[in-house]
Amino acid sequence: MLELDTVRVNVGGFLVLRDVSFAIDAGAATVLVGRNGAGKTTTLRTLMGLLPLEGGTIRLDGRDIHRVPAHGRAALGMGYAPEDRRLIGDFNVEENLLLPAQAIGLNAAERRRRLEDVYSLLPELPGLRTRPGGSLSGGQGKMVALGRALMVGTSYVFLDEPFQGLAPALAKNYARALSRLRREKEDIGLLVTESSPQYVEEIVDHTLYIERGEVGERDTLQVE
Amino acid sequence: MLDLLALLIVDGLADAALIFFVAVGLTLVFSVLRILNVAHGSFYSIGAYVAVSIGMWVVSAGWHPYLTFPALFLSAALVAVALGPFIERYFLRWTYGKSEALQILVTFALFLVFEDLQKLVFGVQAHYEDTPLQLLGVSDIGGIFYLNYQFLLIAMAAVTVILLRLLIRRTMIGKFIVAVVADREIAQTMGINTTRVFVIAFTVGVFLAALGGALASPTSGVAPGLGAEALVLAFAVAAIGGLGQIEGAALAAVIVGLSRAAAIHFAPDFEAVVPYLVMLVVLLIRPYGLFGTVQARRI
Repeated sequence: MLELDTVRVNVGGFLVLRDVSFAIDAGAATVLVGRNGAGKTTTLRTLMGLLPLEGGTIRLDGRDIHRVPAHGRAALGMGYAPEDRRLIGDFNVEENLLLPAQAIGLNAAERRRRLEDVYSLLPELPGLRTRPGGSLSGGQGKMVALGRALMVGTSYVFLDEPFQGLAPALAKNYARALSRLRREKEDIGLLVTESSPQYVEEIVDHTLYIERGEVGERDTLQVE
Repeated sequence: MLDLLALLIVDGLADAALIFFVAVGLTLVFSVLRILNVAHGSFYSIGAYVAVSIGMWVVSAGWHPYLTFPALFLSAALVAVALGPFIERYFLRWTYGKSEALQILVTFALFLVFEDLQKLVFGVQAHYEDTPLQLLGVSDIGGIFYLNYQFLLIAMAAVTVILLRLLIRRTMIGKFIVAVVADREIAQTMGINTTRVFVIAFTVGVFLAALGGALASPTSGVAPGLGAEALVLAFAVAAIGGLGQIEGAALAAVIVGLSRAAAIHFAPDFEAVVPYLVMLVVLLIRPYGLFGTVQARRI
């Protein structure tokens, strides 16, 4: 279980997360719904250790991990796909996928095994393996970013607005990939942020709402 | 005429080789740490001082004179190991993400401290130790005598370009460096220890500068002011090549080296300003340098 306990985070002098507490069970899929600027990305960046905590703690299976540096989170089995993809443009798709597996020190056989795993889960990727990361379309890039997160994200995977900017057909494609992931990798905990949860409703177990840096179970926005 | 041209080219390329070592280290540190290290020239002069000292020691101890060659590399390695991790950890690390003015002040302060420390340790007189140069002797090519040491310098620089290329493209740490240069934050989330990458890149940068100084010491000796001279030239070369560009630094060093050699032969008064005239012309035409680009930071 991954737990946030009264987490407070400052970004540029503003308190963006205000005593955020929630938990994601191993193997469960959660969507965090909120408007732009509500703190969705900040929540994910905090989980990846990119932002220091102003208060509160983050626990992974009971262990306090808020002192684990950002580069140590991947080795804990946490994978992250940022909204804007951010692939390394100088590397081709396969190099982009392999890089995190190399960084956490997996041996060649295990890297190869995970790569094949990702390729079978995301069948669009093998055809792109030699394409430079900088030359992909938005939809392809999102898929590669998902694959990259899965290379190390063996326990938790965080996807920041994966459907943002995708044309409907591509979004459906991506949603299919996610449901395949849910079926075939049942032990991965998934946290997806979205401003509108239409594509993920079918695959999530749990919906959380974030508004002005506060996370709750109820949708306080759409009371109308 | 052809003889003169050959002489010019050899002189220019040998000069270019020495400038390249300093400039490529500067450019590597800039692209990875995003710090313009004003103290970089100090590593050149410290490398030269240490090389001269060790060379003299090897000679006076009666060891085989050819040991002065490995001593040049040993000197650079010593300087890199002693200063690289230490400077990165205690002086640079806390300036990451802070304003560029602060970073320049910190590295400029380091440069001033190093200048005085060198005077304190090695005195203000010039030191010479040219055993490697004497050992290699001269070649008579078409009636003109060339220092064989110059050919060694050119070969060393060429090998360094290739080795750096292989380091960046073929090794794991090279891939991590490329990833950190491209996107520091995403590199971290992929599990790359950026702090370690910074220490390694900085230490390699220090090694290259110190190696430049060590290799230059048999030809020029070493005296106070050498570091400042090397730094300013390295800045010019790095700017001409495009900051962060390894091949750019190599090509820019060749251009500057050849123009300096030409100036020495045809218009000696202009020798000192030629590198900056070249820089001016290049930057007027290509503001980001020969290989530089506006958006993408590459290596």
